[in-house]
Amino acid sequence: MKVSCLQDNLAKGLSIVQRAVPSRSSLPILGTILVATDGPRLKLAATNLEIGINCWIGAKVEDEGAVAIPARLLVDFVNSLPPDRIEMDLNVRTNTLHLKCARFEANMNGMDPSDFPVIPSPEENNRVSMDADVLRDVIRQVTIAAATDESRPVLTGVSVTVEGGQATFAAADGFRLSVRTAPLKETAAAPMTFIVPARALDELARIATDQEDPVEMCIPEGRNQILFHLSSVDLVSQLIEGRFPDYKQIIPRTFTTRTVMNTGELLQAVKTTNIYAREASNIVKLRIVPASDLAPAHVELNATAAQVGDNVGEVDATVEGQGLEIAFNSRYLIDVLSVISEAQVALETTTPSSPGVIRPVGSNDFLHVIMPMHITQ
Amino acid sequence: MPIRLLPPEIANKIAAGEVVERPASVVKELVENALDAGATDIQIETRDGGRRLIRVADNGSGIPAREAELAFARHATSKIASVEDLAAIRTLGFRGEALASIAAVARVSLLTRAAEDEVGTFLRVEGGQVVQREGRASPRGTTVNVENLFYNVPARLKFLKADATESAHIANVVMRYAIAFPDVHFSLVRDGRLAFQSPGSGRLLDVLAKVFGADTVARLLPVDPAQDASLSPDAKVRVRGYVSEPSLTRSDRDGLMLFVNRRWVQDRSLAYAVIQAYHTMLPEGRFPVAVILLEMDPAEVDVNVHPAKSEVRFRNPSLVFSKTQRAVRRVLVAHAPVPEMHMPQPAQPQAHTERFRTLSQLGLEAQRTGDTEAVRAPVFQVPERPDPAARRLPPLRVLGQLAQMYIIAEGPDGLYLIDQHAAHERVMYDQLMAQQAAAQAAAQQLLQPLPVELTPLQMSTLEEALGDLAALGFEIEPFGEDTCLVRAVPAAIAGDDVATVLRDTLNELGQEPPPPVQGHRVTAVVACHGAVRAGKTLTVEEMRALVEQLERSEFPRTCPHGRPTVLHLSMGLLAREFGR
Repeated sequence: MKVSCLQDNLAKGLSIVQRAVPSRSSLPILGTILVATDGPRLKLAATNLEIGINCWIGAKVEDEGAVAIPARLLVDFVNSLPPDRIEMDLNVRTNTLHLKCARFEANMNGMDPSDFPVIPSPEENNRVSMDADVLRDVIRQVTIAAATDESRPVLTGVSVTVEGGQATFAAADGFRLSVRTAPLKETAAAPMTFIVPARALDELARIATDQEDPVEMCIPEGRNQILFHLSSVDLVSQLIEGRFPDYKQIIPRTFTTRTVMNTGELLQAVKTTNIYAREASNIVKLRIVPASDLAPAHVELNATAAQVGDNVGEVDATVEGQGLEIAFNSRYLIDVLSVISEAQVALETTTPSSPGVIRPVGSNDFLHVIMPMHITQ
Repeated sequence: MPIRLLPPEIANKIAAGEVVERPASVVKELVENALDAGATDIQIETRDGGRRLIRVADNGSGIPAREAELAFARHATSKIASVEDLAAIRTLGFRGEALASIAAVARVSLLTRAAEDEVGTFLRVEGGQVVQREGRASPRGTTVNVENLFYNVPARLKFLKADATESAHIANVVMRYAIAFPDVHFSLVRDGRLAFQSPGSGRLLDVLAKVFGADTVARLLPVDPAQDASLSPDAKVRVRGYVSEPSLTRSDRDGLMLFVNRRWVQDRSLAYAVIQAYHTMLPEGRFPVAVILLEMDPAEVDVNVHPAKSEVRFRNPSLVFSKTQRAVRRVLVAHAPVPEMHMPQPAQPQAHTERFRTLSQLGLEAQRTGDTEAVRAPVFQVPERPDPAARRLPPLRVLGQLAQMYIIAEGPDGLYLIDQHAAHERVMYDQLMAQQAAAQAAAQQLLQPLPVELTPLQMSTLEEALGDLAALGFEIEPFGEDTCLVRAVPAAIAGDDVATVLRDTLNELGQEPPPPVQGHRVTAVVACHGAVRAGKTLTVEEMRALVEQLERSEFPRTCPHGRPTVLHLSMGLLAREFGR
């Protein structure tokens, strides 16, 4: 293999695939990044067997070939090189890669590329696509509700339902539920339902930052994998097997109080209250006060920590329905309010012990259900 | 079969069975007689685990010649005279059954001389009958020989354990009396070899050093009425004794000895009161070493419950228990040091002796020159016991994590290793207890009720513990025979695997017969299973938060199960190890 490329491009490509390198692995080959020529481009690949990332960068290929180079060594070395042309030359017999950039030269002992796991490439069937910035938004709003605890694997994933011209993403960790629908670029040929690990989606959102073309999603037949195809990156993830809970029946159909607040104000108020709440199981109490002769409608937030003290804050609100006092986990509130970009949110509640629903005002495609907390007497 | 009166031999044997159960019972009865006779030196000798010979010789008051035979008659005693005396017994024995019972099941000879007699009396008794009597020279006091125990009760003989076991029982009996009577010199000779000897110095600690060894004694804390106002001498119940530091434990309860008015007693609830005082300081399944001596008005306690007198009844049990528990707890709380690491000392005899020599020479030099200042200055710093305020942790700076198990932190005096699971367990326990105390348990409801399948044992444990779990914030209802539905969980464990936490909790609760204080135990168990496990990588912020919370805890040194949360490597220890 004899190939040359720009340091900028190589460093950027490595930073993308590097995310799939496991920090610790019993398989030495997984600690490497595959460097291979692919037609006129250079392909970089890494995998931890749950997700795999392929990334292509522009290069001048003189001689074809491939090698697997220890990830840390390659990444750290390339990152510290000056922005200049890098020439790479592989000694096939010893799997030693020779690097030359400006006045720096290095030899890297690599491993046999045929040991590197094969990361599949996209197929034509079962393919849908979404706008990249929409997909990023969807992922941000949904993965906050996915479980981090591994005891129920399906809950660490995001349920994706593709039907007609739209896809519905949902995640729930047992205490809260995020549901977001988004339009597809074209109508899906057949309905599909699958569960994608939230970790893989978070990774995808990170990679897709400056993606402009739509992101293609492709489910190869019978492989239990999903492949996200971006312009110069492919991300493959294992799907989670199992049945996702039927979340539609969790979403309350009615409410007795609807409270509309300014998203930013509410988020700031919760963050302030959280300084006390974090010392007391994260309980924030919301007192929803409808407009009266004495005062306009508002919501009072308070937290009491036995050993620390207490605080109370207030935000303006429009309240339809009766007043109510309800307690939530402050962390959950902060999570959801941080991912709503609309200026106003509505909180729909019924009783202090029934679920609360948060929706952005003026948009129907996102909702978040939070179970309240209560104080047993 | 017609009903008839049993012949006296048989009746005596049956009665003897109550008193004389095994060789150790003979030793007990004879030692009690010796003590009641005011002896200050008691020598016990046994052969073949007491089967062949038990000899107890004392220097007590002796039995006057004319009363010697009567001593062997049933219900003959010099210790009480009327029923009223029974209500206020100050002697160890009083039933008048001991010698008669022993004589019924063994060959017994007695050599005794009272102070006023010039010649001693020798009696030989077999099967309850005096077969020989003569005057013999004897020192003041009484010597009883018991030979061929149970020779005429084959059934009893058959049930005796190995010689070593019986010998151990005998040694236990002798040690107990040695503890209760530190002013009496005891010696126990087993098969011709000295097995135990108490100094008779009158100091309890001297006896304990013989019983437990010097290492253990160095880690005992005194329960001293003089240092505790509530234990003042005029109180109805006086508690004194020694208890072990929480770091010194045993896997059995044999180190736990209770005495009431110098009588060794077995009392489960009193023992529990002592163990309870160590609550959350001892690892599970470990027990303290504790020697507790209670003193009270004899009228306050009934010892006439069982012929062996090892069980007693208190007129006011709750007062006795709470007094005991509070006394022990106070000592422990005041003490509670962070267990310091013990490292094997590298052999440096040369350096040490040399330094020592120089220092003593210095002292001599100073004495000779009359420079007393130099002598008075402390040559060695004796480590002081930390004052009660020091049981809290000093402010710590987190340095990192070791093996995803321990947090490494720096404190004002050296390095602290913190067990992340134990520490979090303590923090959660404190939180849950605080919520319970305020009757405010924070519960997080679940989106959907979570069905958890349980074993029949877990189900029955759940039914019992339902109330306690609800008080912590669990909302659980049975759902069919082998499943329950969890609707809400304590906020503290909300991020965890709820089903596993619940199952583990129930498993642990179902394990042993639960002690009376249930609320505590359930909380401790939930805290344990809800706490962060070993093997979890913690961020620096998480570690810092945990350490800060631990610093605020009132008992930061142990988790609720009693395992240490913190190990301390002092600067002194580090300097020593690095040879600085």
